[in-house]
Amino acid sequence: MANADEREIEELPTDEDSELEAHLQTKRMVLNMGPSHPATHGTVRLRVELEGETIVHVDPEIGFLHRGFQKSCENVTWNQCLPYTDRLNYVSAIMNNLGFLNAVEKLVGLEIPERAQYIRVAASELHRMHDHLTCVGAIGLELGGFSAFLYAIEGRELIMDRVGELTGARLTTTFGRVGGLNRDLPDGWIDRVNRTLDKIHELLGEVDGLLTNNRIFVDRTRGTGVITAQDALDFGFTGPCLRANGINYDVRKAHPYWVYDRMDFDVPIGQNGDNYDRYLMRMEELKQSEKIIRQSLRELPAGPVIVDDWRIALPPKAEVYGTIEGVISHFKLVMEGVPVPPGEVYDCTESANGELGWYLVSDGSGRPYKVHVRAPGFAILSGMPRMVEGRMLADVIPTFDTINMIGGEVEQ
Amino acid sequence: MSESDGKKPIGDPQPAPPAAKPPPPPPTPGGKPAPKHPGFVTVTVDGKELVAKPGENMVDAVKKVGSEIPYYCYHHRLSIAANCRMCLVEVSNSAKLVPACQTPMAEGMVIHTNNARVQESQRAVLEMILLNHPVDCSICDQAGECKLQDYYQVHDYRSSRLEGEKVLRSKRKVLGPTVVLDQERCIQCTRCVRFMAEVAREPQLGMFGRGSAEYIDTFPGKQLDSNYSGNTVDICPVGALLNRDFRFRARSWFLSAAPSVCTGCSRGCSTYVDFMGQDTYRYRPRENEQINKSWMCDQGRLSYKYVNQHRVAAVLLGRGEDRREATVPEALKLVAEQFKALAGTEGLAVLVSPVASNEDLLAALAFARDALGVRSVYVSGRPEGAGDHFLMTPDKNPNRRGLEWIARGLEVALKPFSELGQSINAGKVKALYAVGGEVPVDPSLVAHGFARLEYLVLQASNESAITAQAHVLLPSAVHIEDEGSFTNLDGITQRFRRAYPARADVKPHWAWVVALAQEFGFPWMQASARDVFREWGPRVAELASFDWDGAAPPLKVTRGINPLATGADGRPPGYREFGPPRVRGI
Repeated sequence: MANADEREIEELPTDEDSELEAHLQTKRMVLNMGPSHPATHGTVRLRVELEGETIVHVDPEIGFLHRGFQKSCENVTWNQCLPYTDRLNYVSAIMNNLGFLNAVEKLVGLEIPERAQYIRVAASELHRMHDHLTCVGAIGLELGGFSAFLYAIEGRELIMDRVGELTGARLTTTFGRVGGLNRDLPDGWIDRVNRTLDKIHELLGEVDGLLTNNRIFVDRTRGTGVITAQDALDFGFTGPCLRANGINYDVRKAHPYWVYDRMDFDVPIGQNGDNYDRYLMRMEELKQSEKIIRQSLRELPAGPVIVDDWRIALPPKAEVYGTIEGVISHFKLVMEGVPVPPGEVYDCTESANGELGWYLVSDGSGRPYKVHVRAPGFAILSGMPRMVEGRMLADVIPTFDTINMIGGEVEQ
Repeated sequence: MSESDGKKPIGDPQPAPPAAKPPPPPPTPGGKPAPKHPGFVTVTVDGKELVAKPGENMVDAVKKVGSEIPYYCYHHRLSIAANCRMCLVEVSNSAKLVPACQTPMAEGMVIHTNNARVQESQRAVLEMILLNHPVDCSICDQAGECKLQDYYQVHDYRSSRLEGEKVLRSKRKVLGPTVVLDQERCIQCTRCVRFMAEVAREPQLGMFGRGSAEYIDTFPGKQLDSNYSGNTVDICPVGALLNRDFRFRARSWFLSAAPSVCTGCSRGCSTYVDFMGQDTYRYRPRENEQINKSWMCDQGRLSYKYVNQHRVAAVLLGRGEDRREATVPEALKLVAEQFKALAGTEGLAVLVSPVASNEDLLAALAFARDALGVRSVYVSGRPEGAGDHFLMTPDKNPNRRGLEWIARGLEVALKPFSELGQSINAGKVKALYAVGGEVPVDPSLVAHGFARLEYLVLQASNESAITAQAHVLLPSAVHIEDEGSFTNLDGITQRFRRAYPARADVKPHWAWVVALAQEFGFPWMQASARDVFREWGPRVAELASFDWDGAAPPLKVTRGINPLATGADGRPPGYREFGPPRVRGI
C-alpha cells in the first residue's frame, strides 16, 4: 500500500489548481424568474442575467397567456367581443368593456344617453380602485408586509361585491352594450357604494400607515426601478407609470370622454420616476377615484341607459314578444350583429395602467374586420429592463410590482 | 342617431322636410333631347351619371352606380306588377314618386333613390306591409333570408303603431305536394302567380278578394302540383310559401351554400347546395342563362336525398354471412391481386355509370384500358324516366354525354347494359369491376344476375340490392363531396364545387381508381379531381379546351351583412383548412 500512499501524495493538487483556490467564476449566471414565480403577477418569464447580484440584462418573455384575442374578435359580432375584452386586464374588466364600446360607438357615430355615461364613469372608477388596490396590496405582500395586502384585498373584495351586484359577475363583467348599458343600477346600489367607499377610505388609511413611511418599504422602493422621463416617453409609458415621472398626461383630462369633463378631480404627478413614486401615484389616484365615484353617483341623471335605436340596441322584450317589428330587430341584431358602418377608428380611454387604445376596422358587416388593442402594460413591460439593468436582483420585485404588468392584456 | 333625450322614435318619424322641388325636366323644344351617348340612355342617379341600355330596368341599372332600390314584387324574369310600392323613387319628370321597376328611363332624367322623401315613402310602405304581418320570425323558415327582415332593419327600424288585432287568415294552407302557404305572412306581391302563368305555363295560382281581404290561393278544385311549384318558394320574398320538404328542418342562418349542379336528370341545372356540417338540406337553383335561367324542377330539387340516406359507409368484404368490414389498404391489396390475375382475360368486364363525374370516368376508363386491358366497357346508370315541357329530361343520368365523349377520346367502346346480363348468363363474364352502383333496370333483378358472378368489385355511394352482391364494396363519394364537372345533354360542361368532405373511408371514384392503379404498380400520383382532369382531359377532344379552374363557379359573397354559420362557419369541425368559409349565395 506504500505505493498507493506515495501516489496519493504525489497527486495531491498544488495550490494553484485546487478547486478551493480557484478564482471566482467569471461566467454570468442566468436566472429564470417565472413563468410560475411567487413574485411575478402574471404568468411571465423573466430571463435575468446576473453578474454576482447585479443585473446585467433582463429579457421578459411573454406569451403564456396568449389567447388570440384580436383574431377571435373577427369571428363574432361586435357585442360578442365583450367577453373577450373581460380577459384583457382581468383586474379591471369593466374599463376594457367600456373602452371597447366607446371605440365602437365612435365608429358608429353614436352618442349614448347621459345616464349611461355617468354610470360608465362610476363603474370605470370603481374598477380603477379595484386595480390599484390589488397593485398596492401586492407590492406590500411581495416586499414582506402581509398586513397591508390583507387590508387592500378587503377593500377589493367590497368592490367585487358591488360589481357583482351591478353586472352579475365578480370578475368577467361583460358590462355595457353598444349604445349604452345592458342594465341599470340595482336598487339601493348607490347607497351601498357610498358605504363601501367609506370603508375603503378607512382601509386605505391603514395601508398608508403600514407602507408609506415604513422604513423597509421605502428603502426597497425609493430610488429603485428608476426610469427617466424621456425614456418613459420613448417606451410609450402611459398612466401612473408615466405620471410618476412628472409628465402630466391623463386621457381623462387630455381628451375627456363621457362626462369626465364635468368631474372634479386632480391628476397626481410624481417627480422621480421610481417605484416609490409609482406607488404614491396609485395611492393618490385611489382617493381621486373615490371622489369621482361619489360625484358621479350624486349627479346621476334619470333617463334611459341605452339608445332607443333598433338598429343598435335590442328592443324591449315586450316589443320582441309582441310585435313583428321587435322580433325582426331582435333576430337581426342577435344573428348578424350591429351593422357598424365601414371605416376605421382609433379611440382610447384611461384605464388603470394607462392609455387603453383601440384600433377598429369595420367592413360594414356585423362583425369586426380588425380589432387591435393598444394595451398600456405592453409598452411598460418593454421598458422594464431599462429600469433594473445595472441594479440589484432584489430590485426586480418592487419594480415588477409597481409597473403592474397584467398578462391578459399584454399577451392578449 | 342621438337618442340621449330618451324619446322613442316611435312611428312618428321626423316629418320629411318638404321635398326639394324636383329639378325641372330638361328643355324639350320640339320632342326628345338628343341622347348624350347615342344608342344609350343617360340619366343621373343620386348625382352620378348612369349610361344605361334602352329598355334596361331602373332597379337593375342603378346598381351600376352603387345605388340600391329595395323591391319585393319585381323579378327580372317575370312581368312587371309594380304592386309592392317598395321601389318608389323620385324622378325629375314626375311630381309624384314613381315605381322604379315600371318606369322607363328617359334621356336626361334625374333620379333620387335615397332622399328624405323616398326614405319616408319606403318607411311608410314597410310599416303598412308589416301592419298585419304575424309575429312569426321565430318559427318561420324564411327568417335569415327574408326581405322583410332585411329591409325593416335598413328602411324602417321603428316600433309598431298597430292598435287592435292583426287580420287573421289561414296559417297552413297546403297548396300541393311541395308547397304550403301561410296566408298571414303573404304580402300579395304576386310573384308566384306570375311565375306559374309566365314561366311554368301552368297557371294554378290566383289572387282572390280585394283590399286587405286579398289572398293568394289555388283556383277552386285545383292544387299546385306543377313540377315547378318549388320555384314559387324561392321567389317568395317572405315566408308565405314554404317547401314542405325543407319546412322546420334548419335555420337558414346556419346553412352554408356551395355552387353545384343538379344530378336529377341530364339537363344539369346549376344549383346551390345548402348544407350544415356534413348533411345536405336542400338544393336551390343558381342563375345560369344557358341552362336553367333561375329555375329548377321539383324532382331535381328533391333529388338531394340520396346524398344523405342509405349511404355505403365502410369498405366491406365478402357476401352474405362472410361480409365483414375491412381497412382500405387490405381491400386494395385484395382487389389488385385478383385483378392482376384476371387482367386481359375475357372473363373480366368493367361497368361504368353516367352518374359519375367526368373526372371519375376519365380515371376509370384509363384504368380499364391500361391496367385491366379492357377495350370496351358496359354502361349502367339510372333508368329512363319522364320528361316534361320545360327543364326535366327523360334521361336521369347527369353525365351521359360526358361518358360518350370520354370513351371516344380514350378509345374505349361502350356497350349497353343489356349485353352485360347476357354475357353473365352465358358465363362469359365471371368478374366485374363496377364504377357506380346505379342500374337501369330493377336492382333486385340485376342482383339476381350478379349473384352468378365469381368476383364483383363495386364502388357505390348508396346501399341497394346490388351492393349486397359485391365481393368487395368500396364506398364512393357523391358529387357534392368532391369537385368535378358534368356535361349535360346539350354538351355544356359545368364545374361544381365541393360542399363538404366525405366521411371516413368514403372516397370519390377517381380516388379509388388511382389507389388501385398504384397497387397495380402504376406511377399514378393524382391527388385531386383537378389532377385527374389535367392528366386525361386533354385526350378528349371535346374537353381539351375546357378551362377547369376558370369554369369553377365563384363562391359568391353577398354584400353587407354576411352571416357566418355560428361555430363552424360552414366548415365541419376538424376541417378548418378546408377552403374559405362558405356563405350563402344569390
